[in-house]
Amino acid sequence: MAMRQTPLTCSGHTRPVVDLAFSGITPYGYFLISACKDGKPMLRQGDTGDWIGTFLGHKGAVWGATLNKDATKAATAAADFTAKVWDAVSGDELMTLAHKHIVKTVDFTQDSNYLLTGGQDKLLRIYDLNKPEADPKEISGHTSGIKKALWCSEDKQILSADDKTVRLWDHATMTEVKSLNFNMSVSSMEYIPEGEILVITYGRSIAFHSAVSLDPIKSFEAPATINSASLHPEKEFLVAGGEDFKLYKYDYNSGEELESYKGHFGPIHCVRFSPDGELYASGSEDGTLRLWQTVVGKTYGLWKCVLPEDSGDLAKPKISFPETAEEELEEIASENSDSIDSSTPEVKA
Amino acid sequence: MNARIMQTPPTTTVPVLRLPRGPDGLSRGFAPDGRRAPLKPVVPEIPESQESRESQEQRARATLRERYLRSLLAMVGRQVSFTLHEGVHVTAHFGATDLDVANFYVSQLQTPIGVQAEALLRCSDIVSYTFKP
Repeated sequence: MAMRQTPLTCSGHTRPVVDLAFSGITPYGYFLISACKDGKPMLRQGDTGDWIGTFLGHKGAVWGATLNKDATKAATAAADFTAKVWDAVSGDELMTLAHKHIVKTVDFTQDSNYLLTGGQDKLLRIYDLNKPEADPKEISGHTSGIKKALWCSEDKQILSADDKTVRLWDHATMTEVKSLNFNMSVSSMEYIPEGEILVITYGRSIAFHSAVSLDPIKSFEAPATINSASLHPEKEFLVAGGEDFKLYKYDYNSGEELESYKGHFGPIHCVRFSPDGELYASGSEDGTLRLWQTVVGKTYGLWKCVLPEDSGDLAKPKISFPETAEEELEEIASENSDSIDSSTPEVKA
Repeated sequence: MNARIMQTPPTTTVPVLRLPRGPDGLSRGFAPDGRRAPLKPVVPEIPESQESRESQEQRARATLRERYLRSLLAMVGRQVSFTLHEGVHVTAHFGATDLDVANFYVSQLQTPIGVQAEALLRCSDIVSYTFKP
């Protein structure tokens, strides 16, 4: 019996969600940051979508947001011509990096020592986060605003996308190695380190290229204009979303469309798989983030598999990983309150 | 056989424990007693009410319990050294624990009398254990 997907809606933003990123897997689970045109990027627990905090400080729409691997730092790119670096544990602003135009994209190196930024001024900038006062190194060459910039090949190279090109740069020499031209606007780019795969979306196409050589691997066509796509860590599936408000899931090997989901009330701007591949998150023009299960019906995070012999309500508390301590307390508390009610009858005079 | 399975219309949606929590509308968040806050020793400077000390203790207990459970998760697949009673030392690859943490399921258990491919170690027999994450 097929179960229907229950997406988990994360509310809180008041304007379109334009970017989202997951951290790596940390001892505290993994985390999710969302960039929003309301200027207030939010940090959430990655497996539940629970809000942790809001990074306050930007004075304009936030176009890009990222977390470092262990989710101790966050970086955001905004329309106020700054990129900011934040302490992702306390929420405090650590650095404001002034730019000459709207900043669109930010990315940490693996060791969190450097931050790559890109934006409407068409320059790639590399900041040494241990020397925030020093001027960044700049790489020029793009002829239109940079939409996305990513470190790749163990931070030895940089991938950047503007409206119609994707370029590969060598970090050490700061020179262009190769470029790809498109006759349609590039809407998104994702880099998968294991296997050095680059996922690029443009028009209705979802294309996969080698991140090392930029040679094409394969591409699929979706039924509508796609704004973002993400490849599953095990490379079994990919998910994509765009202008028709729907999320599509494809088999990466065969290109077969497996599932499609309605749910968002506006175009989808960003979609990413979680680092463990168990769920994917989508951000939309409708101001929400939604979490979707990769395997529908599996017990994970807030989704609870109910077997046919169980009754509808959770009659017995089942403590299963990775429940949070708070959920354990809630279940224990509700159990306690039930017994108190039944064992202390009120005596009226 | 390549026949595509005809999907009967799904009749139930996946149940959820609850919905994701949203912003509290009061603060910017990053709760000081949240998951990732460093556990500081509780030194009350002003006498606190009994109720809040209990809830502080409960929170601390919950955080410690969660850390312990996560430490068990981190151990999965790793080589662990166990110190048993009477100074016996064994090493094994940790597999899993049961619900009450009464038994550890291990594999490749190196004992003084040979290697056991699969074994259950009674936690009551374990004095301490150590591993490198």
